[in-house]
Amino acid sequence: MGAPIDVLKRIPLFAELDDNELERVASVFKERHFSEGETVIQQGSGAAAFFVIDSGEATVLVDGKEQRVLQPGDHFGEMALIDAGARTATVLASSELSCSGVTFWDFRPLVEENGVIGWKLLQTLIEIYRSERRQ
Amino acid sequence: MSEVVPLIEALDPALYGSKAAGLGQALKDGLPVPPGVALTGSVVDAVASRDEQVMRQVMESVRPLGGPLAVRSSAVDEDSAEASFAGQHLTLLNVRSADELASALSEIWWSANSDSAITYRQRVGLFTRPSIGVVVQLLVTPETAGVMFTQNPVTGADERVIEASWGLGEAVVAGRVIPDHYRVDRAGNVLERTAGRKSIAFRSLPEGGTVEEEVAPELVDRLCLEEGQLAELSRLADRCEEVYGRARDIEWAIADGRLYLLQCRAVTTSGP
Repeated sequence: MGAPIDVLKRIPLFAELDDNELERVASVFKERHFSEGETVIQQGSGAAAFFVIDSGEATVLVDGKEQRVLQPGDHFGEMALIDAGARTATVLASSELSCSGVTFWDFRPLVEENGVIGWKLLQTLIEIYRSERRQ
Repeated sequence: MSEVVPLIEALDPALYGSKAAGLGQALKDGLPVPPGVALTGSVVDAVASRDEQVMRQVMESVRPLGGPLAVRSSAVDEDSAEASFAGQHLTLLNVRSADELASALSEIWWSANSDSAITYRQRVGLFTRPSIGVVVQLLVTPETAGVMFTQNPVTGADERVIEASWGLGEAVVAGRVIPDHYRVDRAGNVLERTAGRKSIAFRSLPEGGTVEEEVAPELVDRLCLEEGQLAELSRLADRCEEVYGRARDIEWAIADGRLYLLQCRAVTTSGP
C-alpha cells in the first residue's frame, strides 16, 4: 500500500525527488476513509497529516466560504509534513472519500534517515518561497 | 515477545496500552471480562499499512474468539502523560469479518493520528509519535448495560452509584438516554432507585455495526435492574476495589443473565 507515484510527482513539494525517492515517500502512506459529510481537516486545528485523494470528492472552505472541489489525484495539507501548525482551510468529504495519508511522525524519520531527500525538500521550499515573494 | 497475545497475558501497558493491561490484570484476577486478544501498537501500525503477513497473524489469533467482535483502542502512553485520552480514541462494535477488522484497526490507527489527537497531545506536552494498541474482544450483546462508580463521584460518599439502560452501554456512555440511577451501600443495601427515561437502545446488527432502536413504550420508564443484579454489581465493585484500589469507574454489561466487566479505570473526577 502507498500513494501512487505519478500523483506524488505532481506535488510541488516533491518536485525534485527522483522515482526511487518518491517510492520511499509513497511507502509510508496509509489508506484512510471518510464518510460523506465528515470533516477531513478543520481550519485552525493542529495538523497531523498530508492527504492525496484516491476516490471521491472533497470541498475546501476558508472562513466558511467554499473555495474549490478536490477530485481524485488532488492533494491537501502538505505543510503538515514539516510543521504541525494550524490548518489554513477546512476540507469536507462531499462524498464517500478514500485518501492516502502520511503523518508528520512517519515522514520525519524518512527525511532524517535520508539527507538527499531532506536537501531536495529544502531546495524546493526555498524555490516556493522565492516564487511567492516575486508575486 | 509476541505482539498479539491473549488478553490475560497483556499485562505490560508500555506494549499493549493501559486498557489492555487493565483488562488483562482483571482476567488474571478472575474478574468476568469477555475473552479477547491484545495487539501492540506496532501490529496496529502494520495492519494500517496493509501488511498482509501481520494481518494473517492477527486473524489466526482472533479466530478462536468467534464473533462478533468489539475492537477497542488502548493508547500506549496514556498513563505516562498523566492525561486522559478518553474520547480521543475509538471503539468499534460488532465487527464481523477479516476486512472489517482490518478497516477497524486502520480507523483506530488514524484516530490516534488525527488532527484533534495531535492537537490534544501537543496541549498536554506529548511530542512523541502516538502508539495505539488494540483490544479485540468477543462482543457481548447485553439486555442491560451501563456504568458504575465504586464511590459516589459527585458527593464523594462511600457508596456505589450505578447508571443503567437497555441494550449496549453506548447509550449511557454517550449520554443518549436518561439512565436509571441507583445508589447501593457497601453492604449491598439499595439506597435509591430512580427510573430514567430510556427511549432508545443500541443493538448489534447481523450485518455488522450497531443501530439505534426505539425502546418499547412500556420499558422506557421501567427500572432495568433487579435486586439480584444490583447485588451482583455491588459484589463486582468489591472485587474491582480489591484488585485495583478504591474509587473505580466501571463499564459493565449483563448478557444472557451473566454480568461482564468491560472496563475498569480510576475515577478522574471526585466530589468535594
